[in-house]
Order: sequence, then structure tokens, then C-alpha cells
Amino acid sequence: MIRVQDLRVTFGKGKTLFHAVQGVSFEIKAGEAYGLVGESGSGKSTILRAISRLTADWRGIIEIDSVPLSHRRDKSTARKMQMVFQDPYGSLHPRHTVNDILKEPLEIHRVNNRDSRILQALSDVGLSIDLRFRYPYQISGGQRQRVAIARALILQPEILLLDEPTSALDVSVQAEILNLLTALRRHHDLTYLMVSHDLAVVGHMCDRIAVMNRGKFVEEISAAQLRDAEPEDAYTRQLISASGKYDRETAKSFVSFD
Amino acid sequence: MTPLLRVKDLSVTFDTPRGPVQAVRDVSFDLGHERLGIVGESGSGKSQTGRAILKLIAGNGQVEAGCIEFDGMDIIGASERDMRLIRGARISMIMQDPRYSLNPVVKVGEQIAEAYRIHSRVSAKEAHKKALDMLEIVQIRDHEKVYSLYPHEVSGGMGQRIMIAMMLIPDPDIIIADEPTSALDVTVQMQVLGLLDDMVSKRGMGLILISHDLGLVSSFCDRVVVMYGGRVMEVLEANKLHEAQHPYTKGLMNCAPRLKDRQTVLPILQRDPSWLTD
Repeated sequence: MIRVQDLRVTFGKGKTLFHAVQGVSFEIKAGEAYGLVGESGSGKSTILRAISRLTADWRGIIEIDSVPLSHRRDKSTARKMQMVFQDPYGSLHPRHTVNDILKEPLEIHRVNNRDSRILQALSDVGLSIDLRFRYPYQISGGQRQRVAIARALILQPEILLLDEPTSALDVSVQAEILNLLTALRRHHDLTYLMVSHDLAVVGHMCDRIAVMNRGKFVEEISAAQLRDAEPEDAYTRQLISASGKYDRETAKSFVSFD
Repeated sequence: MTPLLRVKDLSVTFDTPRGPVQAVRDVSFDLGHERLGIVGESGSGKSQTGRAILKLIAGNGQVEAGCIEFDGMDIIGASERDMRLIRGARISMIMQDPRYSLNPVVKVGEQIAEAYRIHSRVSAKEAHKKALDMLEIVQIRDHEKVYSLYPHEVSGGMGQRIMIAMMLIPDPDIIIADEPTSALDVTVQMQVLGLLDDMVSKRGMGLILISHDLGLVSSFCDRVVVMYGGRVMEVLEANKLHEAQHPYTKGLMNCAPRLKDRQTVLPILQRDPSWLTD
């Protein structure tokens, strides 16, 4: 479904040239959930932004269904692939109602049956229809993220790019959104590419996981391996030991991986 | 042993255009020479509880309490002048994001030195030396160089170490840390907690760690206060978290995905309105 080969992304030029992604390759099968995990600056979100062409300076091959992507965004790929952003407070237009937000992609793509599509999208993400004419500030953070997911689904894409979709939410709300994403994937046969700094979230959602550090993949492992076995790579092991629990000795043993 | 700090029936109410909002209701706890965690989700009143102890509540807010007793004083009755002698010198606070809590146009070392000079009569030279020592204590390599950097030139983890240095330099009795590591990467988060751990145990301070992360807080602290809707749901020994009685605490523990065992569906936290009435 998605094939990425030797992807490289740079920012700036001359002395300030920064290699954010340094030759990354992976493949995602249709219906699979693939996770990218790493700390800040590891390049995980940059990969997502390159695939969605929100970043212009990338080299390498990105193929969707064996068709290589150009550097320009186009309507047909947008229909196939949609993105959900991290911050539901920043990603929804504050002066647009939920209805306006959901209607916009339909207008851009000249889709008919707008009313029924909007009602369907709201029910798909578990929002009641009386929220349809509310503004983002009138609804909770979890509801906002549901609106962002509904907006991504309204064109009936095959692929969702998920950039830290729950990291701005409380854990109890996170559980609701993760359950929703799991159910939607099953119902609509979606393919997910999910980015997160949280190993437990990625391990819960994804079948395969790439661990990133400083623009490179350090290891690609299955969720089962992550759960049942010790990963081979030392960086991955350190990331796991830092997740969730504080331990004085572990904290002292940390080293930096350059 | 008398506790360092005793909070009894603390309430914080905000006047809003839509009427009064009670952010904290009848919260009571004692703090000894220990690490106390206050855990809750957004809107639980955990931060306002921490801020009320230093009377750092916004203008439209009102703090009421049976007492907030610290070193024989009642903070509730203290004047602003008295509070200035307490804030920083006796009880200090570490905020969440160093990018917003450091002055962007003053060198970080000077900000640490300033914190020292305000609370003790020393020369600029002495303060400079003390600030350098402090940077070393918080494990910053190359502390002479870091002294003259501006906040935008340091990483998040280093920024938080600088904040800790600044809060420790007047040698306070109590540190209130409000989500001190939430903006940091997991490994850096552990290192910063390790540092706080050392400081608290070496200097015999009391620490209040405010966080949304129940798992993290219970592995770091001695006791945990669980808050919801401005109220205390329960107070637990951190190592007895698995014996939690309150359905909210249990729900909060269960709804987080776990690395080592897969659940197809995560349990959803069911909120019970009766938690907020009795």
C-alpha cells in the first residue's frame, strides 16, 4: 500500500543544513497498522509530513499503491490518504462550526450527498448530531479529536496518517480515542501509519513498529516482539526501560546514542 | 513528628461570567520530609492546589481553607509581604515548561544568580560562583559555557535542570513541582526525576510532585493523592497502588495501554456523578 525507499529530508541550507531524515525505507501492506516511535527530533513526524507533502525538501521514493508521489499535493492522493494531527486545539479552525469543518473537504472534492455524509461521519466517530453546529471551543478535547478524525474519514480514504493523535489528551480520553481508531480500522479496512513518542500506545495500536533515533531507523520490530522479547537494539531497550516507571538505578544508567 | 506543611479543607473558587466555579473543594493533606504525588486529569484541581499553597491564584480566584500551616505560620492569613519571604526562599515551585518560565532575554546563569541574590545578601561575584556550583550540582557538563547561554539555546532537558538549579539555590524547605517532566522525552524525564530524587533525599526537603501520570508518580513518590473534579478521591501509599479502593483510581490505572500485555479494547473509565457529591 505504502512503500518508502531511501527517504531523505533536509531543512535549511549551507551551514545550518539539518538532515532530519537520513535514508529511511519501509513498506506497509494494505490493512496494516505501522508505527513510528522515537524521541523528539528523531524525524518521525517529518516522515509523515513528507508523505503528506507538507514538507517540500524530500528525496527518495514514496509510492502509494505502486504509484510514485510527486512533490506537489494533488486531489487524488488527498482522497486516498488523510491526516489526523496531534493537537485538536490547533488543527480545527476556531471560527468554523463542526459542520463547516466537515463540509470543506466535500466542497473541495465536489462530493454530493453532503448532508448524509456529514451525519454518517459524525455517527462513525461517536459524536451526537446536536454537536453539528457547535464551534470547537464549545466542545471537549476528546470531542475535538473525534471531529478531526471525522474530517479525515469524510472522503472515505484508505490510509490514515496519525501524528500523535492522543498525546494532547487525558489518559481516560486517550483510551476512548484509541478504541475508536481500532474499531474504525476494522470497519473501513483502513491502513494506518501512526507516529507517537509513547511505546505503549504504538505497541497497542500497531502490528509493526520502527524505532527511530536521529533521523534513522534503529530497529523494526513486531508488536509481539516488543511485548514478549527483549529487543536487540540497545537504544530500544533504553526507551522501554524509560517508559512509564521511574527507577533510580535505571535513570542513572542512561547513555546518549548519537 | 510535625509535618512540614499541613493543608486543611482547602478550597479555591473562581468568579467567572457564568458564576462561581469551584476548582478545589475541601482538600486536606500533610506533607512531611517525603515525596508526595498529586495526580489527576485536566480540570481535577491539582495545579490550583499547588498554586494555592503559595497563594499564586489568578485575580478572580479566592482561596479559603481551615488552615495552610507552614513552620508555625498560617499562610492563609499571611500578608503579601510575608509571602514574598516564603516564595522561593522557603517554598519554591518548578513549572512545566522551561521555555515559558525562563526569561528569554537574560542569560540562564544570571537568572540563577539573581534567584540567589534576592534571597540572601551576597556580592555579585559570590552569586556568580554559587550559580556555577549549582549548575554543576544539577549535572550540567561544561557549566561555565552554559552559564552564558540564553534560554533558546538550551534543550528542554537542560532548561528544566536550570529551573531546578534556580529553585534549589535559596535552599527551600519545600519544592512544588508542577508537571516538571511532561514536556520532556522519556529518557530525559527519568534523568530529571533522578536529579530531583537526589536533591530531595540529600537535603531533606519535602517535595510535592503534581502530575497527570499515575504510573510515573507512584513509582517515584512515597504517597499519592488522587484528585478528581477538585476533590481528593483517595490517598495511597505509592507501593500499595494495586490495593487502590476508589473506582476512579482503578479506572485511571486500567485505561492506559500497557507495553507488556495486549488488550484488544482498552477499558473505558466510567465516571460516577456521586464521586462529586459525597
